[in-house]
Amino acid sequence: MTDIDTLQKDLANLPPDHPDRREAAVPAMLSLQSETGYLDDAAIEKIAEVTGLSSTEIEELATFYSLIYRCPTGRHIVQICDSVCCSMRGADQLLTAAENYLGAPLGGLASECAPTVLPSICLGLCDKAPAALVDGEAAGPLNRTLLETLLKRLQTEE
Amino acid sequence: MDTFLIDGQSVTFEPGENILQAALEADIQIPHFCYHAALGSLGACRLCAVEINPKDSDKNARVVMACLEPAQKGLEVSLSAAAAQQVRRHVIELLMINHPHDCPICDEGGECHLQEMTVACGPSYRRYRGNKRTFPNQDLGPLIHHEMNRCITCYRCTRFYQDYALGNDLGAMRLRNEVYFGRFQDGPLENPFAGNLVEICPTGVFTDAVFRQHFARTWDLKTAPSICPHCSVGCNTLPGARDGTLRRVRNRAHQELNRWFICDRGRYGHQYSEHNTRPLSPRVSGINTDYRSALAAAARKIQAAAERTGGIGSVREDLEGNVMLRSLLNDLKGIFTAFNDPELEAATLTAVSRMQELDNTPHLAALEQIDAALITGDLTVHAPMIDLALRQAWRNGAKLAMLHSSVAPLTQFASTAATVAPREIHDMLTQLYRQISRQPETNDAVTQTIKTIAATLSQARQPLMAGVVETSTAQDIIALAELAKAFEPAAQLIYVLPGPNAYGAALLSAAGDTVSLLKAVERGEVQTLIVAGSDPFSEPRSGARWRVARQKINTLIVLDCIATATAEAADILIPVAAWPERSGTFVNYEGRAQGFSTVFHRPEYLPSTADIISEISRLLENQLCDAASMLQDSFPGFQAPTPGTPGVQISAQHLPIRNNELMQTEPYSSDNGWQAALTSWLGDEPLAGFSPALTELAPPDTALINPESAARASLKSGSSVRLWNSVYSVETCVQINPSVANETIAIPRSMLVRLGIGHGDSLNLEQLV
Repeated sequence: MTDIDTLQKDLANLPPDHPDRREAAVPAMLSLQSETGYLDDAAIEKIAEVTGLSSTEIEELATFYSLIYRCPTGRHIVQICDSVCCSMRGADQLLTAAENYLGAPLGGLASECAPTVLPSICLGLCDKAPAALVDGEAAGPLNRTLLETLLKRLQTEE
Repeated sequence: MDTFLIDGQSVTFEPGENILQAALEADIQIPHFCYHAALGSLGACRLCAVEINPKDSDKNARVVMACLEPAQKGLEVSLSAAAAQQVRRHVIELLMINHPHDCPICDEGGECHLQEMTVACGPSYRRYRGNKRTFPNQDLGPLIHHEMNRCITCYRCTRFYQDYALGNDLGAMRLRNEVYFGRFQDGPLENPFAGNLVEICPTGVFTDAVFRQHFARTWDLKTAPSICPHCSVGCNTLPGARDGTLRRVRNRAHQELNRWFICDRGRYGHQYSEHNTRPLSPRVSGINTDYRSALAAAARKIQAAAERTGGIGSVREDLEGNVMLRSLLNDLKGIFTAFNDPELEAATLTAVSRMQELDNTPHLAALEQIDAALITGDLTVHAPMIDLALRQAWRNGAKLAMLHSSVAPLTQFASTAATVAPREIHDMLTQLYRQISRQPETNDAVTQTIKTIAATLSQARQPLMAGVVETSTAQDIIALAELAKAFEPAAQLIYVLPGPNAYGAALLSAAGDTVSLLKAVERGEVQTLIVAGSDPFSEPRSGARWRVARQKINTLIVLDCIATATAEAADILIPVAAWPERSGTFVNYEGRAQGFSTVFHRPEYLPSTADIISEISRLLENQLCDAASMLQDSFPGFQAPTPGTPGVQISAQHLPIRNNELMQTEPYSSDNGWQAALTSWLGDEPLAGFSPALTELAPPDTALINPESAARASLKSGSSVRLWNSVYSVETCVQINPSVANETIAIPRSMLVRLGIGHGDSLNLEQLV
C-alpha cells in the first residue's frame, strides 16, 4: 500500500469540512511527486479525490509552492536563487549560463538525463550568494565555472 | 451618532465601521478597488490611501488605507493631501504596468472601475516601456468570457466566488507577478451565482459572454427598473436594450432583496425574449395575420361560447393580466383559474394562506441573520437567491437541516441532511412536530435524524422553516407551517412559490377552480379556452389530461411571449410583450408587490396581456374597466407600486385556512413501489428554457437512483430502463446518485411531462436488456 492509499484510508471517515483534509493536501502532493518527479493533471485529480477538496483548490496549492512541480523534471533539480542578494552577485548571469550550457530554457529539458534548472525566490542562503539548492542541498557561492561543472556532473552521474 | 472629518466635511459613522465604509455611505468617493460592501476590506490594492492628521502638533501626519482604518470620533482625514494623492497615483501606475491598452475593444469600457480610478487618480501617461506579462485565457463556458491579461489582482473574484457564493472551482493560481484567476481546467463555472463575476470584477477579466454575442456600449443601452420573472423571489434587475432588442440583464440593488447579486438564471434567462421561435405575429388557424383580425376572431369565438368559456391565468403573468382575465371570465360567467394543476393550486393557496397567517416571512437580508433552518426540497433551483442568503447564514454559523427527495446542492452546507421519499416527507414532519412539542406517540420510531433536527431547531434563537411548493403537497405545507407555529413567535416561514407572481395569482384564485375547469373541459363543457401566459400542456402531473382534453375544445386562444407546447397547439395565438417590453406588477413570495417598467419597444407591435383582454372585452361590447381599478376592487387601497421603489406589501384579505380533509388533492397511492421525484437544474423554468446559453449547460436526461435501491433492483450506472405508468412510458438510462431517496426515481421535468405524472406519483420501472 502506497502512502497515498494509506492517506486515503485515513481521511475516508472524516467529515467533509474537517481541517485535516486541507492539511493533508501538501504531504499528499509531495508523496506523489516523490514517485513520479512531478504532478500531472491526473495526479492533481487523484489528490482532490483523496482529500475531498476540489481540483481547483489543489491546483491553487500546487502552483503556489515552488517545490511542487507541475511539469516533467529531470533526475536532478537545481534551483538558483534570484532574489536581491544573489541577484546583486550575478544570479541572472548564472541563469543565462545554465540555459546556454543545457541548450534549453529554464524549466525545460533538453534531453532525458539533463537536470532541471529553475529560478527560485529567496532561499535564505544570502551568506553563500549567489546560491542554489541542488536536489534540496544548499550550494554556493557559485560562479559560471562551478555551475557548469556541477551541471556536467549531474548530467553524467547515474 | 459620532462623526469625523474628511477634508473638513463632517461624516457620521456606526461603531465598527472603517473610514472607507463611512465615507461611501456619506457619498464621498474615496478611490478603491478591492473593498466591496458584500466582501469587506482586504487591503490588497492599496488604492484607498488617505492621510490622517495627528492629534498632537509635534507628530507627523500619516498615510493609511481607509478600508483598514477604523473610523474614530474626531478623526481628521484628508483625501486631498498631497502624500495620499501621490500614493494613489503610484498605485494606479503600478496596476497599469501590465494592463493592456485595449479599452476600445474591451467589453467593460464605459463601466470599468479601473478606467474610472485611472482617470480620477492616475498619471495620464505610461512611463513603463518593458514587456507586459501575458496569460492564456480559459474557456469558462457559455456565460462568462475570460480575459486574464486585464487582471489587477484585487482578489474580488475569488473572494466572491469562494468566500461568499461558496463555490470551489475558481481559484487563485501561482504567485508573485503571475497570479492567475481561473479554473483547474477549461470548463463552465459550476456555481449558480458565477455570473456575478461580471459585475464584481473591477475591470474586464470576466465579462458577460451572452452580451458579447450581441454587444452594445453601455452608454447606448436603454435601461429601466425591472423585476426578474424567473422565480418567486422578485429580484430587482436592470435590463439593457438597444435597437429594439434586449441585450443583457444586470443586478439592480434592493436593500432587502438582492443587494449586490443575482443568480445566473436571472442574468442569462432573458434570451427567451430574443429566441427565434418567439411568436411575434398573431396566428389564426396556423396563418399569420394582424392583431385586428386575430382579436376579432377571438371575440367571435368567445361570444359564441359565452358562459362556455374558460380562462387560465398564470403564475408568471402579471397582476394586471390575471385580474383582467378573471374579470372577463366573471362577466361571461365562465371559470377562471391561475393554475394548470389542481394539486399545485392547492399547494400554492395553502402556502400563501399559511404565510399570511404566521405573518413572519423574512426578506433576503433578514434570512442572512437566522441561526437555524429546516429546509424541505431544493432551494438552489427553485429560488437561487434564497439559497445564496442561506449560504451567508451558514457562514455566520447557522445550522441548516435538510429533508430532500432528490439532488439539492445546499446539502453540502447542511449540518443534518436526510433523503426522504416524497410520500414520507409528511410523516417525517409530523414526527418532528411531535418530538418538538414533546408528545411522541409510542409507535414512533424516532430516528437520530429527527432528534438532531428537533434539537437544532429548539435551541435556535430564530428558526426558519423553508419549503418548496412545487415539490410539496398541501399536507406537507400544512405540516411545515404547524412546525413553525410550534416555535411562535420567533419562527419564520418561507414557501418558495412556483412563479414570479404566484402569490398574486393565488390571491386572485378560488380554491378548487382548477379542478372544476379541467373537469369541465374533459366533459366537453368548455367550448373556448383562453390561456394567458401559461402552458397547461407541459405541466408534469396534469399536462397529459390537458392534452387529451384539448380535443374537446373548439377554440384554444393562447396569449404568450414564448412558443410553449400550448401556444403551438393554439387555434388563435396572440403574441404579447415580454416583461422588459411592458410595465406591470409582480407579487413576490413575501407578498411584496413590485412594479416594473417598459424598458424598450421591439419593432413589432406587442401589447400586454391586460391590453389584449381589454380590447377583446371592447369587441364583446362589454368594456372592462382598466386593470388599476380592477386591482383596487380586489385589493383595497391598491396603488400600483412605482418601478424602482422597494415595493409594498399587498393589502389582501387572508386566504381561508383549509385543513387536510378539505383539500382537493388525492393522497399518494399507498403501494410501496417506485415513486417519481423531480430533479431540476438552474435553467429549468419556462422562460429560461428558451435561453440557449443556459440550456447548453443542461444535465443529460437520466433517471437518478440511489445506490441501495439500485442494488436491490440490480441496476447499474448506465443500465437502460423503461419507466411507465398506466398510460405512457419513456426509455432512459440510470445514473446512480446518493442524493436521491430510497425507492425514488428522480427524473427531469420533461420526463414527468411525457409520463403525465408529478413529483411523488408512483411509477414502474423495468430494466431493458
